[in-house]
Amino acid sequence: MTDRFDGSSIDLERALSRYMLERRITRRQLLDRIGKVGAAAALAPVIAACTSPGASSAPPAATSGPTQAPGSSGPAPSAEPTPVPEPEAELYIYNWTDYIGEDVIPSFEDKYGVKVTYDFFANTDEAYAKLGDDGGGYDLSFPISVDIPSFVARNALRPLDKALLPNIVNLGAEWSDPGYDPNNTHSVPYMWWTTGIAYDSTKVTDSPTSSTALWDPRYDKHISMLDDWAEVFGVALIQLGYSANTQETAQLDEALALLQQQKPLVRVYSTDTIGTMSSGDVWIGHVWGADTFAIQEENENVVYYIPEEGGIKGSDTMAIFSGAPHPIAAHLFINHMLDAQVSASNTNFIYYMGPNAAAREFIDPAILEDPALNPDQAIVSKLEEILDLGQAVRDEYLSRWQTLRGG
Amino acid sequence: MSADSPVAPPTIRSRAEALTSAILVVPGVAWLILFFVVPLGMIFLVSLGSRDELDRIVLTNLSFDNYLRALDPAFLPTFLNSLRYAAATTILSLLIGYPIAYWISRYGGRHKALLLVLVMLPFWTSYLIRTYAWMIILRDNGVANWALQAVGLTSEPLILLNTDFSVILGMTYGFLPFAILPLYVSIDRLDSSLIAAARDLYASGRGAFLHVTLPLTMPGIVAAMILTFIPAIGDFVTPDLLGGAQTTTIAKVIQELFLEGRDWPFGAALGFILMLITLGGTLIALRPLRREVVGA
Repeated sequence: MTDRFDGSSIDLERALSRYMLERRITRRQLLDRIGKVGAAAALAPVIAACTSPGASSAPPAATSGPTQAPGSSGPAPSAEPTPVPEPEAELYIYNWTDYIGEDVIPSFEDKYGVKVTYDFFANTDEAYAKLGDDGGGYDLSFPISVDIPSFVARNALRPLDKALLPNIVNLGAEWSDPGYDPNNTHSVPYMWWTTGIAYDSTKVTDSPTSSTALWDPRYDKHISMLDDWAEVFGVALIQLGYSANTQETAQLDEALALLQQQKPLVRVYSTDTIGTMSSGDVWIGHVWGADTFAIQEENENVVYYIPEEGGIKGSDTMAIFSGAPHPIAAHLFINHMLDAQVSASNTNFIYYMGPNAAAREFIDPAILEDPALNPDQAIVSKLEEILDLGQAVRDEYLSRWQTLRGG
Repeated sequence: MSADSPVAPPTIRSRAEALTSAILVVPGVAWLILFFVVPLGMIFLVSLGSRDELDRIVLTNLSFDNYLRALDPAFLPTFLNSLRYAAATTILSLLIGYPIAYWISRYGGRHKALLLVLVMLPFWTSYLIRTYAWMIILRDNGVANWALQAVGLTSEPLILLNTDFSVILGMTYGFLPFAILPLYVSIDRLDSSLIAAARDLYASGRGAFLHVTLPLTMPGIVAAMILTFIPAIGDFVTPDLLGGAQTTTIAKVIQELFLEGRDWPFGAALGFILMLITLGGTLIALRPLRREVVGA
C-alpha cells in the first residue's frame, strides 16, 4: 500500500488514466480536447505528470526564507504560543497530481495573502525520496496514512498545533482518533477510498456479494488481483474472518494457503485494473474503488462492491514537515482544507470522499448516492485500514507474498 | 594494452605511441570505473549490510546472511522462470535470426544496407509503446484472437496475454535485432569460396553448412547469444506488461524488495546473484571461442 498507483513512473497509459480519472474527463473528451486545442496543449499536464512533476518550480529549499524556521530545531509541540496567527508570506505544498479542487488554492491565497507554490508528484516513491526526513523544503504534503508512523518515527513530521486548527471539529467521529496516528497528533485525514471488487455484469451474472467470487473456477484466468501484497493478503485474511493487520503467522499461513488455491485461476496481479478490466480480459477483479469510475467509462456493465465479509479502506493525510519553513501558513492551510465548503468543493472536483462530516451537505448528491464512492455506513464500519506493522511483520507478509508469486 | 609489450627497446617514438594509447584509453577506463565498478561495488557492499528498524541501511556488521536468505527454495521457481524465459528467448532469437542474417548477407545484394536498416527500424519507436502494442494485439478481444476466430481455428478467444507465450514472444520480438546484427557481421565476413571448396570436395549442402559455415560463424552466434541472454534475464518491463500471475521473474522480486519491502540489502543480494548467473552464462557461452580469443 505504499504506492496506490504502483509501478513504473514510465507508465504512460496509467498516468493518462489517472489524469483523466481525476480530472473527471473521459477518453472521448480528451480526444475532443486534442482536436480543439492540439495534442501538445491537451496532453501537457499528463506529460508533466509522467516526467518529473514538481520540477516545474524552483526547489523551495533554495528560497531565502524570512527567518530560520522555528520548527527545524526540535520544536516543543505544545509550547508554541501563537494566539494571533500571522502567516508567513509563502507556502510550499507537495501533492498528488490533480488531487485538489481547482478553486481551493486561489481562495486560500486571497484570504490570507499567502503565495502558494504547489508542486505535484505521481507516485509515493518519488515523493518520499524528495521529502526526505524534513520535508526537503516543502511545508506540507499528503502522505498515505499507512506511512505516517514511519514518518513520525523518523521525526519527519511537526506535531500539529490544534489551536490553529479550529475547523478540526468538522471531522467525522470515526476520523478523530485513527489507528495510524492516534488523536491526529501529526496529521489530518484528507480523502479516503475503499478497496473492493469490480465485475463485468455480462460475464458474472449472479451479482456476487462475497469475496469468494474471486475464487470461482467459472472465471478461470479472468480474475485479477491487485499487485499489492497488503491488499491481497487483506482479502484472504478478511475472508477467513481475521484482521487484515494480523500479526499471527498461523493466520498468515492460512491466508497464503487460500491464495495459493486461488492463484491458478488468476490471470494477472496488476494495479492496472483500468486497463485489464476495460479491455475485457478480466471479468472480476480486486480493484481500488476510485478506479471504478474510469473502468465504467470504458465498460458501463462494470459493477463495484465491497465484500460482505468486509474490506479495506485507505486514506491520504495532510501533514506538516519538521523542516517546514512556513509552519503557521501550513496550519492555516490545513484549517482551510477542513472548512466544510472547501472540503466539499474538493470532493466535488476529485470524486473522493473526505472525512469531513460538516461538508456532506455541500457535496454533489450524485457522489453521495454512489456506493462505490460513498459506501453505506454499515459497510464503512466493517472497513479496516491497513497499518504499517513494522519491519518484522512486513517481512512475514512479504516472504509469503514472494512464495505465492513464485510457486 | 597492445602497445605494452614491444620487443625492441623503447624508442622515443614507441614511448610517444604508448602515451597516446594510454591517453586514449583513459575515458573508457574512467567510464567503466565510474559507472560500472563503483556501482557494482556499492551494490555488493549494500548486499552485505542489514537494516535498522526504520529500514535504513546499516553497514556495521557485514555478513553473507542475505545470500543465505536467497537460498530459500521459495525463490527457486522465480529464478528458474527468469532463466527459462531468457533461454527460450536466446534460442528463438538464434533460430529466427540466423536465417534472416544469412539471407541478407547472401541474397541481399545491393539492398543489404536497406535490409539492415529495416532490422533496426523498430528501435525508432519506444520499446514501451511497442510492448503496449503487443498487449492490444494479444488481449482476449485483440487482433490475434479476431484473426484466429475469423479463419475458424477457434470459436472462443484463446488466452494469449499474461502467459508464458506472451512473455517469450515479447522478449524475442524485442531482442531479435540484437541477435541478427552480430550474426550478419560474422556470416558476411565468411569467405564464400570456402563453402564452394567444401562443395567441390563433395560435401552436401547440409554438410558444408554444418562443417564449414556454422563453425566459422560461431563468434557471431556466441555474440548473439550473449547480447540476447543478458538483457532477457534481467528484463523487467516485458514480463511486467505481458506477463501474468503465473510468470513472476526475479527482476520483479528485486523491484518489490527495493520499493515495497524496503529491504535494500536483500534486494541487492538477489541482484548480485542474478549478475553472477549472467556472468556464468556468459563464460559458458564464450568457451567455444576460447581458442580464437587466445589466438590460434
